[in-house]
Amino acid sequence: MPAIDLRTILEETASNGNGDLVTRSTGKAVRNGIVQALAGYRRDQVAIIDFSSVRLIDLSCADEIIAKLLVEHGRTRCFLLTGVDEGHADALEPVLDRRGLAAAVQDRSGRLRVLGQIPEPVRRVFSILAEKGTAKVEEVAAHLAVPPAAARAVFDELLNRRLATAAPGGNEVVALA
Amino acid sequence: MTRVVQVPASFDYQAFDQFAEAFGEPGDERLLFDAHATHWASPYGLVGLLAAGQWLAEHQKQKPLFTIPQNRDVAHYWARTGFFRHAAELFELHGKVPHVASTGASDVLLEVTPVRGASDVHDVVDKIQDRAAAILRELGLEAQATMGFAMALSEGCQNIVEHAGTGGWVAVQAYHWRQRLGRRVAVIAVADAGVGFRASLETTYAHRVGERWGDVAALEAAVLHGVSRFRDPGRGQGLAGIRRYVERWNGKLSLRSGTARISSPIAKWDDDGPMDDGLASFPGSQMLLIIPARKGD
Repeated sequence: MPAIDLRTILEETASNGNGDLVTRSTGKAVRNGIVQALAGYRRDQVAIIDFSSVRLIDLSCADEIIAKLLVEHGRTRCFLLTGVDEGHADALEPVLDRRGLAAAVQDRSGRLRVLGQIPEPVRRVFSILAEKGTAKVEEVAAHLAVPPAAARAVFDELLNRRLATAAPGGNEVVALA
Repeated sequence: MTRVVQVPASFDYQAFDQFAEAFGEPGDERLLFDAHATHWASPYGLVGLLAAGQWLAEHQKQKPLFTIPQNRDVAHYWARTGFFRHAAELFELHGKVPHVASTGASDVLLEVTPVRGASDVHDVVDKIQDRAAAILRELGLEAQATMGFAMALSEGCQNIVEHAGTGGWVAVQAYHWRQRLGRRVAVIAVADAGVGFRASLETTYAHRVGERWGDVAALEAAVLHGVSRFRDPGRGQGLAGIRRYVERWNGKLSLRSGTARISSPIAKWDDDGPMDDGLASFPGSQMLLIIPARKGD
């Protein structure tokens, strides 16, 4: 599935768009554009939102686009934000924090990380995923020095927050891609 | 009857209270803004003057009078900032307004610009970025400071669009702040003549504060606690974002509304207090953001 390019959505939905994602009204228009684009995705596909061509996103727009998208659709679909630079992250992190949300992001070098609020064990397991692409229950249990049941609970948290997908068999989680 | 409002000789944010006192609470009298002896005005002073003019345009039938600075260099500089172009719509100007071509001045990062809607915010942000990048590099700040600077500018302008109930003004300049800091600074000034923070938050927040409710409590709520008039929990993040940016780059954020002014964070170089109360009342709200150079130049 192709990534949803924010610049393209901005050009299609906001008449005053000049490449910058600023203001709530622009954010709302872009979010609606993304939701329309998502209609072409299967529910089990990861929705990839590409920031590569975005010069600037402010807090208001980040809240309108990403935080509200996750509030409305984040329980039923995985989102991966790609092409995210430090400037984008500076806007995304606080708006996710404020709503108690978290999102998987990939920077321009391909490095995966989580922005927003997640418990520390979940963040640590996500780091394993970011490095290796997959993580097994036994591996996580050893890494966190916890029993397998506790490792599964961390898996569940990752899956409930749609920050990873489950491999067949239920013993392994896979990084979003 | 005409009443004279003396424009401070050096009109920066510190002299604003003196200006607000002179502005007073205009009734039916015609006001004359006397700037003939003014030898310097910061962007904060310039947008404050326009906010005063705008308030009068919305509340009085007659245009106020305005005498322009006698000093030719000062008048030229104000012209280069675009001030007179907008002032002419709000005031009856007296004195010779210099004709200047498009600024091109490296210290005027953004001419005095009206902010009335979201499209104005887009235009402002679009204009500022390349010039801000160059200036912030000059100030010894990293590239990441540029995006934060544009974000702060955007959020500051959006406060007008979302909360003022009327239009406002923004200006961005870089200059050497000799008296106070002895360093170059980049300054964002935003002012409006709207309802102010107290009125904006009153319906949704005053009951939580009780008898202490007023301009001070409203500014504390907005700046320190991220309270917004909207019930959406995602609202009210703009000022918090500006504060974070200012803190990161050792700058200053000052917000004046009604009879109070809050400064947060307080940088080591800043000798202002965190809150001033009992100031002369002035319409709307006025925001000042200062980002200093890393080292003296």
